[in-house]
Amino acid sequence: MTGRIFEIKRFAVHDGDGIRTTVFFKGCPLRCVWCHNPEGLSAKPQIAFYEHKCIGCGECQKEGFSPEHCLGDARVLYGREITVEELLPLLLEDREFYETSGGGVTLSGGECLLQADFCAELLKRLKEQGIHTAVDTCGFVSKEALDKVIPYTDSFLYDLKAYDEDVHIRCTGVSNKQILENLSYLDARDQRIEIRIPYVPEWNAAQIEPMASFLAKLSSVTAIRILPYHNLAGSKYRALGLSHTLPSKLPTPEELEQARQLLQALTGRPVFH
Amino acid sequence: MEFIKQEDREYIENKYHDTKKPFDPYHRRAYHGYEYDHSTGLSDGEIQAELLILSQDYATAPHPVAKAREIEYVLRHTRIDVNEHDYFIGLDTWNRVIKPTTLDKWKNEIFSQALPEIDQTMKSLNASGAVAIWPDFDHVVPDWESLMTLGFPGIRQRAKEYRSMHEAKRPLSAQEKAFFDGIEIEYTAILEFVDRLYRYAKTKSHEKAKRQTECLLHLRDGAPTDSYEAMQLIFLYFMISESVDCYQVRSLGNGLDSTLYPFYQRDLQSGRYTRDEIKELLAYFLLQWSAIGNYWGQPFYLGGTAADGSCLVNDLSHDILDVYRELGLYNPKIQIKYNDNTPLNFLNKVLNMIRCGQSSFVFCCEPGMWQAVMSYGADAEEARTMDIRGCYETGVRANEVSTATGYVNPLKAVVLALHDGIDPRTGMPVGVRTGAPSSFVRFEDFYSAFLKQYGHLIEETIRCANAYDPYMGEINPSSLYSATIKASLERAYDGYGGGVKFNNSALQSCGLGTAVDALMAVYELVYEKQELSLEELVKILDKNWEGHETLRRRALRLSHKYGVNDPLADRYAVAISHFFCDKVNGRKNGRGGVYKAFLHSAMQFVWQGEKTEATPDGRKAGDEISKNASPTSGMDKNGVTALIQSAVKLTPTSYPESFCLDIMLHPSSVAGEEGLSVMKALLDVYTNNGGMSIQMNVFSPEMLKDAQAHPEQYRNLQVRVCGWNVLWNNLSRAEQDAYIVRAENIQ
Repeated sequence: MTGRIFEIKRFAVHDGDGIRTTVFFKGCPLRCVWCHNPEGLSAKPQIAFYEHKCIGCGECQKEGFSPEHCLGDARVLYGREITVEELLPLLLEDREFYETSGGGVTLSGGECLLQADFCAELLKRLKEQGIHTAVDTCGFVSKEALDKVIPYTDSFLYDLKAYDEDVHIRCTGVSNKQILENLSYLDARDQRIEIRIPYVPEWNAAQIEPMASFLAKLSSVTAIRILPYHNLAGSKYRALGLSHTLPSKLPTPEELEQARQLLQALTGRPVFH
Repeated sequence: MEFIKQEDREYIENKYHDTKKPFDPYHRRAYHGYEYDHSTGLSDGEIQAELLILSQDYATAPHPVAKAREIEYVLRHTRIDVNEHDYFIGLDTWNRVIKPTTLDKWKNEIFSQALPEIDQTMKSLNASGAVAIWPDFDHVVPDWESLMTLGFPGIRQRAKEYRSMHEAKRPLSAQEKAFFDGIEIEYTAILEFVDRLYRYAKTKSHEKAKRQTECLLHLRDGAPTDSYEAMQLIFLYFMISESVDCYQVRSLGNGLDSTLYPFYQRDLQSGRYTRDEIKELLAYFLLQWSAIGNYWGQPFYLGGTAADGSCLVNDLSHDILDVYRELGLYNPKIQIKYNDNTPLNFLNKVLNMIRCGQSSFVFCCEPGMWQAVMSYGADAEEARTMDIRGCYETGVRANEVSTATGYVNPLKAVVLALHDGIDPRTGMPVGVRTGAPSSFVRFEDFYSAFLKQYGHLIEETIRCANAYDPYMGEINPSSLYSATIKASLERAYDGYGGGVKFNNSALQSCGLGTAVDALMAVYELVYEKQELSLEELVKILDKNWEGHETLRRRALRLSHKYGVNDPLADRYAVAISHFFCDKVNGRKNGRGGVYKAFLHSAMQFVWQGEKTEATPDGRKAGDEISKNASPTSGMDKNGVTALIQSAVKLTPTSYPESFCLDIMLHPSSVAGEEGLSVMKALLDVYTNNGGMSIQMNVFSPEMLKDAQAHPEQYRNLQVRVCGWNVLWNNLSRAEQDAYIVRAENIQ
C-alpha cells in the first residue's frame, strides 16, 4: 500500500502541539476560494514551474528529465507515491525534538483522510513507536474514514469554515452537513479536538458567531485556533498553471482580536490566533 | 525608565571614535574620539617618540621590567578625562603604543634569531591559507575575584608578600626577580595613574565629579566598596590591559552578575544606591564597549550553577538584561550559562530578546562545557566555576591560560590532496607528496591522501607552536594579569609563560562542513556516478568552474552534505572530526600544558576562504567556508532539527576549547508563547546531547532582502557573524548574500 503525498515538513510548529513533522497528502474534496495549498487539490501528481527561479540550465530539455534534475529548483514535482516503510524512518528522525517539546507527527493535506487506509496504517505504526499523532482534516470525509484513524489519533485538528450551509457551498464548493455531523461524531467519541477556523474577511467574518454557538455545544474541543487568511499562495497557482480566486482583503489585527474574543466568550475555550 | 541622558549617551558614543567620521571596526585602535584636555598629558605621537628612547634605556633589562617601564611612562603621560557626561574615566592612549617597542620587537627578535625556520614555515602556511598561526595574547581572563577583594593596592601588596615568602626560602632567580619587579612597577604605575585621575577629578565641579572623585580615591587606596567602584575597577583594568598592556580581556567579571552581586546587595541594603541608580550606572558601563565598537565584541557571561546546585541568576542578572535591552545594544555580547536549573523567566527574557532581533547572545550549555573542561583535568568544582572566555571558549577560572594557537583549514587539505601537496595559490609545497589525481583509483585512495595532507597541516602547526610557545612570556610578559593569579605568584612565574595550573593551547579546525561537502562531491561525482575523472575535475576547479556552471550547480545540489543529517556525509564528518581531535587533544604544548581542540572559526571562515581555491562542492575560489560547527552557508536544507542532529554527532565535548553551532530561525516559527517553548526545546535537545554553545538568529529572508535594498531603514539590524555580532550594513554584499541564502532554507 502506498500513499500519495506532496510534502514532508520537518520543524512544523503550527500544526499541533510542539515541534512536529507534517505529512501533506495529495487530493482534496473541497475547493476553498482562499486555498493556500493549491498543490494539494488534485489527487494526481503535478509538475509546477516557478518561472522566476529558472536559470536556463536546459536540463528540462534533455531526455529523461525529471524535476529533481532542475538546477534552479524551478520545476517542482508535487505528488509522489510512498510506502509506510519509507515514511516511517523519516518521521522518526526528529523523535527527540517531539519528545522534548511535546510534539509529534501531523497528517495534513489536501485531505489526508481521502487516503484513510494508508493513514490508519501509518498512524498505527507511529503509535507503536510512542509518537504523538495528529490528523488535520476538513471533515468532508466518510464516518468510516474517521473510524479507521480514531484508534491511533491523539488529536484532531478540525477545520471549520462556515456554519451556514449556503455560505459554505459558495466558499468551498460543498455542503457542510457532513462536516458538522462528523465533528459531532468525534465529539461524542471524546476525541481531543482543536478547531481551526481560517478567517477570511470577505467570506466568513459573519460566520464566527454561528460557528461559535455550534462549538459551544461540543464537549471535546480543547482549543480553537483562528488562522488569519494570507494571500501568499498566488505564485503557487501561477506555477501550477491554475487561475486563482484568492480574495484580496486581509484581516486586520483588530478584526482577528474581535473574532477571538467572540469565540472565547461564546465557547469558553481557549482561542488563539 | 530612561537609564541614561541622551546627551550623555551621545558623548560616550563619541568617546572612542567620532561617530560622524568613517569607522572601520577592524581598525579600532587607529581612532580617537573627542579631544581630551591637552594640559593633562601628551599626544600618542609624543608618547611614542619618548618610548623609542626609553626602550633604548631598557634595552638590556629583562622584558617584564622593560615592558612595565614603558607602561609606566604611558600611564604617567597619557591624557585623561573625568567627564560630566560619563561616570567612567577616560584614557586617551588606547593605541597600544608600547607594542612596536616591546611585543613586536621581541617577537621579531625571537623569531628571526631563535626560530628562523619556524618563522619561514609559519609565513608560508599563513600565505597559503592552509593554516593561520600566530602567538596569541588575546584570550585571557584575570582573576576578577582577587581584583574585587584586594583592589589594585591589595594586588600589589599580595605580590610583595609572595616575593618575600619566596625570598625567605631561597634567593630569587633573575627571571623570578624580573617577574616580581614587573608587577611592582606596573601596579605602582596604575596606582599613580588612579591618583592622577583622582586629583584631576577634584578639579571638576560638575554633577558627577563628586561621585567620581570619591570612587577614584577608594580605588587608589583599596578595594572597591560599592557597585559603581566595582564597575569602575573592571573598566580601568580592561582599558589598561587592552589599550596599554597588549592583552585582550575576554570576560568582564567571573560572571558579571556574580562578580557585582555582593556590591549590589550591599548597596541596596545600606541605601547607598537604589536599584534604578545601579541600572543607570550599568547603562554608562555597558555603553563603553558599545562605543568602543571592536568587531570581535566584548564578552561577559551571566548565570551559572552555585555550589548547592541552584542557579546563580539573580535580580542583577535581570537588571543587566533590562538595561541591555532598553539601550538596544549588541556589544558587549552576552553568554548565558544554561542548565536545567536556569529559571524559566530568565530564559524566556533572553529568548524573547533574541527573537526581537537582539541576537548577540550565546547559550553555553553547562553539562557539555563541564564535561569538556574535565576532559583535560579540571575537577568538578573547577568545571562548575569555569569562565567563558572570548566568544565561547572554556577556561578554568583564574588558573588557565589557553592561547588560540592556530586555525587549520581542512578544505585546503582537500585542495592539497588534489595537487600532490603543492599549494596552487603560492606554488609552495605546503603539503606532503600524495601523488597525482590519476593515481587515486578508488575514493579511499583520495580520502587517505586528504587525511595525510590534513594530518601534515595539524602536525606542522603543532611543531611551529611548540617551538615558539616557551617564549610566550618573553614576547609579551603578562605582569598585569599574572599579579591577579595566585597560582602564578606561588610559582613566581609569568602566567603566560607557564605559570598557571592549565597552560594550554587551542587548535582550531575551520571549515569542517565545507571540507566534508567537498570530499562527498568527489565521492559522488567521480567515484560513485563516474561523471568525470578526478583529473578532469581538478582542471575545472583550477579554472574556477569557468564554462562548467551546470556541473557546479549540480555539485551544490548533491545529496551528501554536512548538516542535513545525511548518514554518509555525517559519518565522514565524524571521522574527520575525530581524526583532528585525536591528534590535538592532550598533546603536550611548549608551556607545560596540553592542546585543546576547538571548532570555532572567528573570522577565518572568511579569511581562509579568500585564500582557498575552488573546491569540488561547488564553491568558487575565494568564497567563504563553513564556520564553527555549522554547515556550508545555504546547505542546511533539511532545517534546524536535522542540523542539530548532524552537529551533535560530532561529539561536541571532544572539542574541549569550544564548539559552537549557529542556527537560523524564521520569525513565524518562534512567535507567541509557543515560540518560546520551541526555542527552549531546540536548546534542550542540543544541551541533552552534549552540545556546548549555540547561537540563534531569527530572520526571514524577506526582511534581509529588504534590508539589502533599503540599508537606510535597517541601521540597527545586526546579525551574528561568528562569536560576535555585526551591523547588517557593515557586511559586504557577498556576506549579505550568503546570509540570505541560509535564511531561505528556513520556513
